[in-house]
Amino acid sequence: MTLPDGQEPEAKPDDAGQPAASAPEPGAEQPSEAAPSTPEAGTDAPKAEKPPAAAKAERPARPAKEAEPKTAPRVAPPAESVNEAVAAASGVTLSAVYIVPDWKGESVAVEVSRDDVPAVLAACRDDERLDMKYLRCLSGVDWQEEGLEVVYHLYSLSKKRGITVKTRVSYDDANVPSVASVYPAAEWHEREARDMFGINFTGHPDPRPLLLPDDMIDHFPLRKDNPLQEIEEWQGDSLREGAGEEEE
Amino acid sequence: MVAEHERSLEVVDIPINMGPQHPSTHGVFRMVLMVDGEKCVDVIPHIGYMHRGGEKLMEAMDFRQGIGYCDRTEYLAQFSAELAYVIAVERLMDVQVPERAEYIRVILTELNRLSSHFMFMGAFGIDAGVFGTSFTYAFPQREYLQELFEEVSGDRLMYAYFRVGGLAWEVTDNFVQRCHEVLKHTQQGIRDIDELLTKNEIFIGRCQGIGAFTADQAIAYGLSGPMLRASGVPWDLRKDEPYSVYDRFNFEIPVGNYGDVYDRYLVRLEEMRQSVSIVEQALEQLPAEGPIVAEKLPRRLRTPPGEVYAKVEAPRGEWGVYLVSKGGDKPYRLKMRSPSFCNLSALREMCLDQFLADTVMILGSMDIVLCCVDR
Repeated sequence: MTLPDGQEPEAKPDDAGQPAASAPEPGAEQPSEAAPSTPEAGTDAPKAEKPPAAAKAERPARPAKEAEPKTAPRVAPPAESVNEAVAAASGVTLSAVYIVPDWKGESVAVEVSRDDVPAVLAACRDDERLDMKYLRCLSGVDWQEEGLEVVYHLYSLSKKRGITVKTRVSYDDANVPSVASVYPAAEWHEREARDMFGINFTGHPDPRPLLLPDDMIDHFPLRKDNPLQEIEEWQGDSLREGAGEEEE
Repeated sequence: MVAEHERSLEVVDIPINMGPQHPSTHGVFRMVLMVDGEKCVDVIPHIGYMHRGGEKLMEAMDFRQGIGYCDRTEYLAQFSAELAYVIAVERLMDVQVPERAEYIRVILTELNRLSSHFMFMGAFGIDAGVFGTSFTYAFPQREYLQELFEEVSGDRLMYAYFRVGGLAWEVTDNFVQRCHEVLKHTQQGIRDIDELLTKNEIFIGRCQGIGAFTADQAIAYGLSGPMLRASGVPWDLRKDEPYSVYDRFNFEIPVGNYGDVYDRYLVRLEEMRQSVSIVEQALEQLPAEGPIVAEKLPRRLRTPPGEVYAKVEAPRGEWGVYLVSKGGDKPYRLKMRSPSFCNLSALREMCLDQFLADTVMILGSMDIVLCCVDR
């Protein structure tokens, strides 16, 4: 068997995330192949002096890593991309325009204010240059301090291109105009987003809970303030931030 | 003076509850049908009985653990669901998948499409009143395919065989030969089903002209896969936005003319023949050896922050994965756009003004997987 990184299994410590404790000679140096290319500096030092048995209890604090960016850098799309046609057709100011990766290549994402959503989507559907008659997907995203986001993926079957439209609302005022009248496909997606994130789609024709029980209207499972506590208990350390990294 | 028997009777619509435990709902699905005599005047679908919070669970799993959950969501087209997920992660991580792995992925995904459509043929025949005969023809074929999947992945249903960057391990030594053997059975199976159902007068009588959707309606409701193509829209992600190595094969996209239940059956039947052809081409082009996993992958997969919407053509339509990452080894948000969910949202529109007995056929023609509807 070949492991994904091309090394033989014998050259590695156990897969299960146990550190040097399970090696035949406790406290011995790791085989030199086992820690070849750890990108973060300083991970080798605490590992060598780790006591074998109580390693997990008094694990030395992980050296501060370089702060990783939490959001992707935003790159503006090239001129004459689809966003210009959207802005022209809808007459709406797009508050942000950037490219997002698509399968092979990039597509354009635009952010608009929530009141403009029906106008932008109706323009995308009806404008001949855009002709985006197909709503692929509608997702809610919980960005915690930055509010709740609704993401619309639109696609044009004739032009073979798509666009991502996003809008953000705050927790206190989580109202977004429904687009079920523009895209009937949005009806169930919006009900699902209401169930899971508590985003209220104003003007929705049938705002009953869809996936959750009918009386579960004040609890929103996919919001980030509902941690998966039990799972964390079951799996313990394997879910800890940065677990298993020394095996790289 | 009006005679007693001529007095007009009060007319009421009667609600009929179908499901959640009902053999024709293909799982735990309930719909409340309001009927005026034999005609449906309203349909209220109730879903969510199988909701397990999969999207939430996957936020707590790292990118390798999440693959196993994809199987449990779409349990009839597991490889397609896995493929969409690994494609999303690969795109964010910018991983190049070795060619041999891509071909094996395509072969398995297409064989999986065959086994899924065999399941449809069996179940749909029962909906139409074939009374089990279709199952006796379709299920042995599905079994041959599942045996092959089991040899490759080690499991009959929950394969978890695809990995980010490639495959979990090398296929069996006689994989190509076994695929050819299975395909021989499969082709016979397609012929059997064709002869059993396609020209069967009762079957045609049950299928033709019901649940028809125009192309515009189908697009507006976000239908995809055979449901959309039966309405005459030649849209198939394998052709239009080819992922993996699908751009190297010759195959046709069957489309229907009327968008009714019968067309959906015909489209699926033809798709099965095209899948056989794709597998044969892929087996021919499959590199004899080579790596099956991308090189230099870290043990702990981490993506840079970003978002991607990956999609594959699953047997039921577009299986999309909207993956948002904040960096790190777990998804920040993962939305599974399941084709069953989107297709089912059109059920009410399709069933209105249809006969009560035909709603079973319309629901059957959607070929839903309730786990994939509820996630």
